Amino acid sequence: MRRLPKRTAFATVLVILCIPAVIAADVLFFHDRSYYAVSLIIIALAMLPFALVFEGRKPQARELVVIAVMVAIAVVGRAAFFMLPQFKPVVAIVIIAGAALGAESGFVCGALSGFVSNFIFGQGPWTPWQMFAFGMIGFFAGLIFGRLAASIGAPSRDGTMRPAAAGGAAWYDVARLGWNVRARKRVSRLRIFVLCAFGGGITLALYGILLDTAAAVMFTQDGFSVTTLLATYISGIPFNAVHAVSTVVFLAVLARPMIEKLERVKKKYGLYHGNAHE
Amino acid sequence: MNKSIFGGYHPLVNFLYFGYAILVPVFFVQPVYLALSFASALAYSVYLNHGKSARFGYGLAILLMAVSAIMNPVFNHRGVTILTYLPDGNPLTLESVLYGVCMALMIGGVILWFMSYNAIMTSDKFIYLFGRIIPAMSLIISMALRFIPHYRAQIRRIASARRGIGFDASSGGFFSRVRCGGEILSVMVTWALENGIETSDSMQARGYGLPGRTAYSNYRFDSRDKTLLCVFAVLMAASLTAIISGAASVQYFPMLIAGTVYPYAQISYACHAAACLLPLALEVREDILWRTLLGKVTTNESV
Repeated sequence: MRRLPKRTAFATVLVILCIPAVIAADVLFFHDRSYYAVSLIIIALAMLPFALVFEGRKPQARELVVIAVMVAIAVVGRAAFFMLPQFKPVVAIVIIAGAALGAESGFVCGALSGFVSNFIFGQGPWTPWQMFAFGMIGFFAGLIFGRLAASIGAPSRDGTMRPAAAGGAAWYDVARLGWNVRARKRVSRLRIFVLCAFGGGITLALYGILLDTAAAVMFTQDGFSVTTLLATYISGIPFNAVHAVSTVVFLAVLARPMIEKLERVKKKYGLYHGNAHE
Repeated sequence: MNKSIFGGYHPLVNFLYFGYAILVPVFFVQPVYLALSFASALAYSVYLNHGKSARFGYGLAILLMAVSAIMNPVFNHRGVTILTYLPDGNPLTLESVLYGVCMALMIGGVILWFMSYNAIMTSDKFIYLFGRIIPAMSLIISMALRFIPHYRAQIRRIASARRGIGFDASSGGFFSRVRCGGEILSVMVTWALENGIETSDSMQARGYGLPGRTAYSNYRFDSRDKTLLCVFAVLMAASLTAIISGAASVQYFPMLIAGTVYPYAQISYACHAAACLLPLALEVREDILWRTLLGKVTTNESV
């Protein structure tokens, strides 16, 4: 793990302390009534450290552009399937981005995919929740699968490109096969299967639960209770099931070609071999 | 009429207005405020979306309002005024019905405000406002938004090239069409990634990220913006003071108590309504002015 700058670390701690403070203030001053308002503040505070970390390290142009490309692909994907409700490739693409680019970039890619696609589909009270849900999915995908992280083109502090070996190669057996393109092995079937299982599970557990909670909080501010929450979860099951199935399908189809394309670009542009501007 | 007058003001003024209009009903659930907000949101969204089909937005607003108006009294049994008993034996109270109506106004209002927000706060304004606070993410947003039409055009180009060599995605059997479509997307993604790297190398070569670089902006903060900003500040401050001091606060459970301090509450309602309706008033004034001038021009011509 890269050591965080002091400012960012301080901000993160502050934010973590802020969340219980907001809840306490709500209970004390608003008599525990403004659930939606408080949940909005918490979501915003939860996203803040990611934004600070990302902005704080001043990412390079290559990293920004590759994230922008992934965001645009996710948005175009969401737009292409507009006629099938819930059947969307966004989660799959965000997971691939997280796995290939690392946890931090995964979060940024997810959150911004939610935000940018809502410029087309309309911003609304759901935007912060979607941003947070997609962002966390990208973050976890990066944490679990992204040991290859070596975020594209991000040079280390001394200005040289970080070698992939530093992060350990998760997708190809680099140690055995080296970086020879011909000897490159395809992403294994087992790995794709694990990725699909992860995708379906996290769509249900994270995106579904978060967005259903948002709906419950919005509809029933004061009547908010375990009963209403459960009622919302149960009525949301079919929608979340379709969403999870679509994520699995898109991951099964897209994961291998997309990851191979990302790896190819990393290799073609010499992102592993020392300086990019040779 | 396709250009909004309020949309021509500085993005900061636009953002302040929508920030106030959207957040106040969310944080302050008070019947009079909610009713005023909802009415203004409806009026402004109808004005901004006239001629355009906005059926989805209104449909969504009605649906969410209905759900929240029904869900509250069904699941919330607090309140002292019992109207009747529900089939499950729980009481249906007047307070929970009223609260449900207020929630419906809040949700519907927020959806309607966002319809106006989407018409006024275009992505370029958002990027202009946040470019300095979150520069890297603003850049990603603006690049992603530019890539979308770019990719559509590229897909068309790839598809026609593939058709030229006999891989037509629009003819043949279902599976061959899916395969051809998949190939097009595959080519597109590879091209997008390479194109992205080349773009970023070009950015690097032009000095992206070096200290002392400025950003181009198309917005000027002129006297018109200053005036409107001051008016907004006064109105919003008055309305927020009433909220924070509790002069217009309201309690729903166990019974409806409006802790309204006269006449501060009335003044704050007036300020809130004025702040919410000001942009619409500006638009209508401009329309009237335009029509009057147009009338003059045509009469002069006919003379």
